[in-house]
Amino acid sequence: MPGRSFQAKLVYLLIGVLVLLQTVTLAAIHIAGVRSLHRNLTEELRVGSRVLERILAARGRQLSDSVRVLAADFGFREAIASHDRNTIGSVLANHGSRIAADAAFLIDLDGKVTADTIEQTIVGKPFPFPKLIRTAEHAGEASSIVSLGGRPYQLVIVPVLAPRAIAWVCMGFQIDETVLRDFQRLTALDISLSTLDEAGRPLLISTLPQSVQTELLAQMVRQPPQNEPVEATLKFADSPYETLTEPLKTGDRSRITTVIQRSLEEARRSYRSLELQIVLFSTLALVGAIVAAMFFARGVIRPLHRLADNAQRIERGDYTAAVEIEQDDEIGKLATAFNRMRTGIAERELQVIHQATHDGLTGLPNRTLFLDRLEHAIAAVKRTGDSVGMIMMDLDRFKEINDTLGHHFGDQLLNEIGRRLNQSLRESDTVARLGGDEFGVSFNAREPEHALDVAHRIADSLEASFILGGVSIDVKASMGIAIYPLHADDAGSLMKRADIAMYDAKKHHTSIALYEAGRDEHSVRRLSLLSELRQAIQRGELELYYQPSISFRTGRVSYAEALVRWNHPTHGRMNPDEFIPLAEQSGTIGALTKWVLRNGIRECAEWSRQGSPLTISVNLSALDLFDSELPTYISGLLTDANLPPMSLVLEITESAIMRDPAYALKILRELKSRGTRLAVDDFGTGYSSLAHLKRLPVDELKIDKSFVLNLSSQSTDDAVIVRSTIELGHNMGLTVIAEGVENVEALDILKRLGCDMAQGYYMSPPLPAEKFRRWIVESRWAVAERNASVEAG
Amino acid sequence: MVLRRYLYGLMLLIAFALPASAATIVVDVRDPQGAPLRDAVVYAAPEGRGLEPATRTAVMDQKDRTFVPHVLPVQTGTAVKFPNSDDIQHEVYSFSPAKTFQLPLYKGTPANPIVFTTAGVVTLGCNIHDKMNAYIVILDTPYFAKTEAGGRVEVRIPAGKYAVHVWHPDMRDEPTPQSVSIGEGDRSELAFTVTAAPAALTSAPLNRLEEKFKKYGNARP
Repeated sequence: MPGRSFQAKLVYLLIGVLVLLQTVTLAAIHIAGVRSLHRNLTEELRVGSRVLERILAARGRQLSDSVRVLAADFGFREAIASHDRNTIGSVLANHGSRIAADAAFLIDLDGKVTADTIEQTIVGKPFPFPKLIRTAEHAGEASSIVSLGGRPYQLVIVPVLAPRAIAWVCMGFQIDETVLRDFQRLTALDISLSTLDEAGRPLLISTLPQSVQTELLAQMVRQPPQNEPVEATLKFADSPYETLTEPLKTGDRSRITTVIQRSLEEARRSYRSLELQIVLFSTLALVGAIVAAMFFARGVIRPLHRLADNAQRIERGDYTAAVEIEQDDEIGKLATAFNRMRTGIAERELQVIHQATHDGLTGLPNRTLFLDRLEHAIAAVKRTGDSVGMIMMDLDRFKEINDTLGHHFGDQLLNEIGRRLNQSLRESDTVARLGGDEFGVSFNAREPEHALDVAHRIADSLEASFILGGVSIDVKASMGIAIYPLHADDAGSLMKRADIAMYDAKKHHTSIALYEAGRDEHSVRRLSLLSELRQAIQRGELELYYQPSISFRTGRVSYAEALVRWNHPTHGRMNPDEFIPLAEQSGTIGALTKWVLRNGIRECAEWSRQGSPLTISVNLSALDLFDSELPTYISGLLTDANLPPMSLVLEITESAIMRDPAYALKILRELKSRGTRLAVDDFGTGYSSLAHLKRLPVDELKIDKSFVLNLSSQSTDDAVIVRSTIELGHNMGLTVIAEGVENVEALDILKRLGCDMAQGYYMSPPLPAEKFRRWIVESRWAVAERNASVEAG
Repeated sequence: MVLRRYLYGLMLLIAFALPASAATIVVDVRDPQGAPLRDAVVYAAPEGRGLEPATRTAVMDQKDRTFVPHVLPVQTGTAVKFPNSDDIQHEVYSFSPAKTFQLPLYKGTPANPIVFTTAGVVTLGCNIHDKMNAYIVILDTPYFAKTEAGGRVEVRIPAGKYAVHVWHPDMRDEPTPQSVSIGEGDRSELAFTVTAAPAALTSAPLNRLEEKFKKYGNARP
């Protein structure tokens, strides 16, 4: 995985945030804890200070009571009243020890010490703590903390009543470690009292360990005690102590400082265990949170992975798998949108593919898809050894239908044809519209016969008239059949050969043609011919043949149709059917037509000179009708040959005129005006309407040979057509010529039907110039009168 | 009551026993705030002549755990009886230099009175009742009197020259004596101001226990 995955990032982020939060929380707890600990300690120390005050006060009261009881003792009073110094001294010591006093004094009412138990040095001197007496005079007793002999004492003074006061008795109780230990037990705080002994040396009474005491003492020496309480954290023996230092209230001017302390480490110890617990729980919570975060991240990421996988499948073109994420959140919505997008893309792609592979008009597969399916079918049968048949079908005269009835009609017709094709074929067969009026059909075929069956089925399906928008129309089609592996090795050549077969069918008007082996080579030959044709004229490889037409009226030859032959150096003699289309395609037709005209007219002039004035007829190509200079050229030729215009007939096919009727008409009128005669060739095969024919400036009709070839007494259909055509031509004032007369029977019928002229093998095949010249004079239909009659047979 | 009547009688007897050519001093004893003081002993010491000690007797009774009277002025030589009128025992004592004595626990009246021969103040106490105290003021003169609640007292004396003293049990210091020369039938008025000593020195504080006992004592009619 390049870089860090989103999941890892998410997990790291979550963990980071959690760790940060925990750390901050713990830090806050720690800081707050330490602060609180400090505050608590400080407060503890202050409370300790007050407790000390109370303890000392209570001790003072308690001692007072003890001393008072002692002073009320009769024996004691009696001894005091004895005024005997020694007695007094001993009673002080004796009774003082009863209440564990460390010092005792007797003071007279004038404030002079009369006896004491310490050293007798102050006897007779004023009592050193007169304030104490003054307080006792009012309160009946007094207690105070003083420094005595350099040590802190609690002094208590009460009067000796007998029953009236006769003296003061004062007892002193040392504040020693025992007192401090009581305090320590009560408060759990360490306490030290610091003062100066008699010699001025610092003195410390303390509950602290000895080592700490030493350090504290040193510190006290360095830093003289303050009058105000001071709170500080001090370090002793490397451990910190929270310390409250304050002066003790004393009855004299002596400086006694109390130092109340708490070891921070000790205080922290309990807090530490609490903190440790918090850290432990935090860590557990953190681990739990991290696990939860990872699960969460995986939960977020897994659907994203699935989406990404799905997107990759879509990228590969697999639209089948839906992303199944049943979540009601953003990711769920994303998945739903993703699925909709996926089906949308799939639908649109299907649509695009359909458009790319199908014909928009008929909805049939187009050439691309057809080729594709053909390839697949061929690939499939390569294994099984079966055959694949293919039919290429082209409608006859579709262009005319389109031009006459409109494109909309043509489209409807194509649609209907597509439908009929589909109906006539099996489900497994493919019908495609390859373009224009061209259809392709592919199917599995065991044998060529089977392919013919299919073709006939198609032909049958087109048999019934098409009734579209109230117009009834009959449609004929030409079909070429090619079979894999019989005729081709691949789909491309199979299609090409079916195409060739189809043109064969068209040419021979046979509707259906099976590809003939070698035809393709022939068509390859055509391609080379195309380039050779240009030079053929200059090389003199072209030769004119002439076929005569005889007149029924005279019984003699009156016409000769000039037909061009190409004596190819390698291929031999070639018929115009083979190279005229090539000439039309290559643009050499103009030159070819002019060559024919030139030589034909010259030959015609020759015939006249020999005493056989015949009319020469020359075929014009559709393209010739676009040559506006043609009329002038023809006039020139005729003038040069010294022939009247009447001796030339130009033959034009219906379809040639129909290419561009308007322009063709213009040329034809031009030619007509110069006296040239015009004939409609191959009449009956085109779609020229009578109205159309009427507008043409023609003089003759040449009935197509397909009607004449089978003309016999048995076939009435063709006879009807021929008769109708003859009558039609005559009615329009045209000369009617029948082509393709091959026997005498046809000739007779034609004569009977009133046909004007006839042409065909029965009279003569096309002949070279030399032979034809002889024929003119030697045949039964010779120009010269030799009693020949048309009423032959 | 019988005793008081007896005492009045005694005092009248003393008054009438004096010579007819008598003079009178009237003494007013007040504290510094002007309040009259009772139980102040006023006595006049004649100048320049001695006096015979008395041979009289006086009584310091103990009633309801109290010495009665609280202050008893007597002339030197007076024998004082200490009857115990309570139903509990008392142990009367004095540590005073003028007369130190002790009457061990007793009830009723001891057989022998105590004669006070030395002038001075004897402070009396009871060894078992700290609160009980009283004063016997022993004087070298027969001319004395004790103030009542009004703080004013008359002392009848023969004409002559005297030093007039005032003593009070609560006083801090004795006020300065005042000299007075008084003629036959004269009447001289004197005023003294007495400053009190701290209470702590003059009486023991009552503790709660004692108060309780006192309550028991008071329970009796």
